[in-house]
Amino acid sequence: MFLAAFSPKGSEQVSPDATLMQQLLRKDVGAFEELYERHSRIVYSLVLRILRQGSTAEEVVQDVFLQLWRNSSQYDVRRPLVPWLLTLARNRALDHLRLKSERQRRREEQSEELPQIAAAAPEYERALDEKRRAERVRVLIGSLPAAQKKAIELAYFEGLSHSEIAASLHEPLGTVKSWIRNGLLRLKEGLRASS
Amino acid sequence: MNSHDQFRELIEAYAIGSLDAADRAQLEAHLASGCADCANALEEARWLVSQLAYLAPDAAPSDMLKGRLLQTVRAEIPGGPERLSPVRAATVPWWLWAGVAALLVFSVYSAWNEQRMHSEVANLQRQAETQRAERQKVEQELATAKVQAHEAMIWGDPKSVKIMLPAKDPKMPQLEAMWHPEMGICVRGWKVPSPGERRVLQLWLIPKKPGGKPMPLVTFWPDASGTFSAMVENPPGAMSDTQALAVTEEPIGGSQQPTGTPMWMGGVS
Repeated sequence: MFLAAFSPKGSEQVSPDATLMQQLLRKDVGAFEELYERHSRIVYSLVLRILRQGSTAEEVVQDVFLQLWRNSSQYDVRRPLVPWLLTLARNRALDHLRLKSERQRRREEQSEELPQIAAAAPEYERALDEKRRAERVRVLIGSLPAAQKKAIELAYFEGLSHSEIAASLHEPLGTVKSWIRNGLLRLKEGLRASS
Repeated sequence: MNSHDQFRELIEAYAIGSLDAADRAQLEAHLASGCADCANALEEARWLVSQLAYLAPDAAPSDMLKGRLLQTVRAEIPGGPERLSPVRAATVPWWLWAGVAALLVFSVYSAWNEQRMHSEVANLQRQAETQRAERQKVEQELATAKVQAHEAMIWGDPKSVKIMLPAKDPKMPQLEAMWHPEMGICVRGWKVPSPGERRVLQLWLIPKKPGGKPMPLVTFWPDASGTFSAMVENPPGAMSDTQALAVTEEPIGGSQQPTGTPMWMGGVS
């Protein structure tokens, strides 16, 4: 059903972000300012949720946008920008947490200079604008049982592994694995259905 | 279920970063083998995981951040040559050529001057970054000093009550705590062995109330010399309602309830 809502790839429209990123390649400050206006709020919200400290969160957001400005040539403008920004911001914020805890050694092993993020967005991304998609994500995750939602939040916002989450919630390891996978699959199906 | 299906079930957890080391290594080896199906699934899972950012409460950065960013990026713009409209030579009188030559000389000078200014701006930026790093260091030192001063006040105030926490293992050193009714609890120790890998020590408040559950206070771990000092500014219970303080070893991140028996425990009189 949702596939029918989309036009073939050949007739896809260029997104405003892609246009702005092309201008950014030419070091257009106006394009940079507009990208900041469009996305700084969600990036800051995410980083603040992870670090819980406003001044540190602003430093991380500054690093993320300066990376966008300085390394725009490494970014493929055909790919969706926001997931790239959010993943970069999450990695940077969790790296800050590493200073406080050894758990980030696990992340260090898999860290990447520039994350390979969302090389292609699923087709249903275009079916909902960002505001409606954000609302759907909150509703879908909010409808999960409290412990399952907590497990997903510990993984995403705290960077904990399956074992660490199981120990923290006093739940069997297999249960935690199922919670996280099934929760994400339910999110995917819910977003598809919304399209 | 074949091995491919098993790997496929790990994709979402890999994208969110929660796979334990062994599973992660196996999946990465499978991805490196060139499985296009799993690679595509991983791309979609990464996009999906990024959407979890919308669970974060909405917040806006300060206007100062935007100002700082724009100032930085403007200073990094490389100078571009001025674009002049083409003019046909036949229509240009000699005095205009002279003007163009003067303009050319001026342009060369401007370009040189701009290059010099860029170099100065870059130097200033490097200095600013150095100062920012130094400021962060000073802020961290100030925060540490503030905590240490708070701890010193607790240890020095006559209203504080000292609580000794002997170790269950006689080979382990004894910990000591000081509880001030208004300023909180401070606990410290020396020559304390490090907890196991990915584990921390956690302080608990044991209530007097029969059947009352231990209340988590703070997690900490000793430095390389085995020394630590941890503070709880607002304990969840009053001294008069507390039977004892206890310390257990817990997984990183701490626990809501103790997962083992106390390694140290001391009664609150």
